[in-house]
Amino acid sequence: MSGNILSIKDLVIHYETQEEVVEAVNKINLDLNKGEILGLVGETGAGKTTTALGIMGLLPPKVGHVIQGNIFLEGEDLLKKSQREMRSIRGKKISMIFQDPMTALNPVKTVGDQIAEVIRLHERCSKAEALKKAQDMLAMVGIVPERYKEYPHQFSGGMKQRIVIAIALACEPELLIADEPTTALDVTIQAQILDMMRKLQKDKGTSMILITHDLGVVAEMCDHCAVMYGGEIVEYGTVEQIFDNPKHPYTKALYRSIPSLDQDVERLHVIPGMVSDPSNLPTYCTFYDRCEECNEECGKHDPWIVDIEPGHWAKCFRYTPEWTGTPVADPAETQGEGK
Amino acid sequence: MVKYIIKRILLLIPILLGVSAIIFILKTFTPGDPARQILGNNATQEQIDAKRDELGLNDPVPLQYVRYIGGVVTGDFGDSYRTGEPVLKEILPRLGVSGIITLGAVFIGAVLGVLLGILSALKKYTWVDSLVLVISMFFQSVPEFVVGLFLILIFAVNLHILPANGIETPLGFIMPMLCVGLASIASYTRITRSSMLEVMGEDYIRTARAKGQTEGKIVYSHALRNAIIPVVQSIGTGLANSIGGGMVIETVFAVPGVGKYIVDSITQRNYPSVLGGALIIAFVLTIINLLVDIAFVIIDPRLKTTIIAGGAKRKKAAKPKAA
Repeated sequence: MSGNILSIKDLVIHYETQEEVVEAVNKINLDLNKGEILGLVGETGAGKTTTALGIMGLLPPKVGHVIQGNIFLEGEDLLKKSQREMRSIRGKKISMIFQDPMTALNPVKTVGDQIAEVIRLHERCSKAEALKKAQDMLAMVGIVPERYKEYPHQFSGGMKQRIVIAIALACEPELLIADEPTTALDVTIQAQILDMMRKLQKDKGTSMILITHDLGVVAEMCDHCAVMYGGEIVEYGTVEQIFDNPKHPYTKALYRSIPSLDQDVERLHVIPGMVSDPSNLPTYCTFYDRCEECNEECGKHDPWIVDIEPGHWAKCFRYTPEWTGTPVADPAETQGEGK
Repeated sequence: MVKYIIKRILLLIPILLGVSAIIFILKTFTPGDPARQILGNNATQEQIDAKRDELGLNDPVPLQYVRYIGGVVTGDFGDSYRTGEPVLKEILPRLGVSGIITLGAVFIGAVLGVLLGILSALKKYTWVDSLVLVISMFFQSVPEFVVGLFLILIFAVNLHILPANGIETPLGFIMPMLCVGLASIASYTRITRSSMLEVMGEDYIRTARAKGQTEGKIVYSHALRNAIIPVVQSIGTGLANSIGGGMVIETVFAVPGVGKYIVDSITQRNYPSVLGGALIIAFVLTIINLLVDIAFVIIDPRLKTTIIAGGAKRKKAAKPKAA
């Protein structure tokens, strides 16, 4: 824990089209310690990928806008950097692994060239040296280096993701953002890829943001965990805190949705309702409509952040001293400890 | 790959046989007697009969066909009825002229079209995009001969920098090339634009951006090579269309090209020239198609595997048959 590598303050990101404004990310605050892995969990549309693209400076041009906030990488605000400065940061200081390895590689370029490209961009070396290093990277991710002359279609899905990881790690970035790196892969390959990522992360001391909707992956890999819902982080803490003592009703509901091996249940728990429409977010708690523990207050104001214990907070009225109402239903107190 | 090319070249044989057979049959059923055409209206019936004998027109059609193919194999496409010269000797220089104009036109059209297409894709929905659309549609909508006449008016009559017609100097090629090329810009622009828009939205473009690559290099080195594939396809068709179809332009600029030669030969019932011209154009087109297919494989490595795999599959399928 040698200080923050990444610090996000009050970040707001909107997607603006002629018809509507989509509030994808609303005032999120995040800190990532050097050498740690932060899990960013949430369902589709929660704003996980938008946050990642915001950090990378890769929001879709003209549509995606950072409305306010700061993103500090080692104390420097990335949002104040010019395009040119961002280009020298992308791939070198921060790199990203994308969700679908099938489409993330250029089909008409050899994998060696694609790895060498990022090396040549950020390191002063000849083409031959870059290709040599690209082969070393292939070996590092467990692919025969001689295959550097082959094209992406000649590799399997898991292999392609290894190549994508090789590209991301080629310049030894300080921060690696992995956006659902195993979602597109089958389960046996998922474990391989995750094992490899953790090993490389440990070896190089890379800090990492792991975006996923798989709580199992978070438990396996991460040090800290942030739960996102409706463009906000609703709960944050260490993995132990979040898993042993989940506080936000959404986090609790997520746990109840995980199938249990030792309980015999007919149906999985389903969180009722839909994610709130990000183009028309409520002024009150975004989870109010689906929450099983809310009271009338929750439907009037936006809740604020409440510290549960050191390093663990939740964005919910339930834990404020002012909380008076009795919850509509409270099955969570007993089941929350189910882990 | 070599195997594939050889196979494709062998495929030429049935194609050319088919083309020649169709034209031969058409020729047989076309009214009008070439012998009378050659000798004129004052010739006596005996003279015409003698000429028909000489030309072999009284033999059965299949025999005529076999005799003709026999000649073609040895490079003899027959003699022109009109001039008595060997057809091949008349066509080859004209084919060269048409070939130069076509290549130049496709080059102008494709280069300008692809550049404009990239520009309008990158500036989509802006005034640049609309302007490109208007310009390219303009040249597509106005008939080639009108553009040709305007070019003559500007460059030959007023500016005196290019000859109005003929190809006595290499400068004479410029206006015909421009004329055909400008007309084809629109289709290349449209194909490039849509293909480019699609490719720029691909995940691997985002990967390239995540590497810190510059936007220019992304367009040039990552996107274009993927986006150019449908453009190459249409370059092939463009070449095919204008090599034999340059009649109008060849007339406007008084250029001795193969298109005009064939049309003239048809009106003169000069069958050896028509047949020879059609066969040679069919041959050239098949070669162009082959080159386009080879270009595909060079641009898109995925196709190489498909071709090799396709060959292997066929081999496997053939084995049980042999056994």
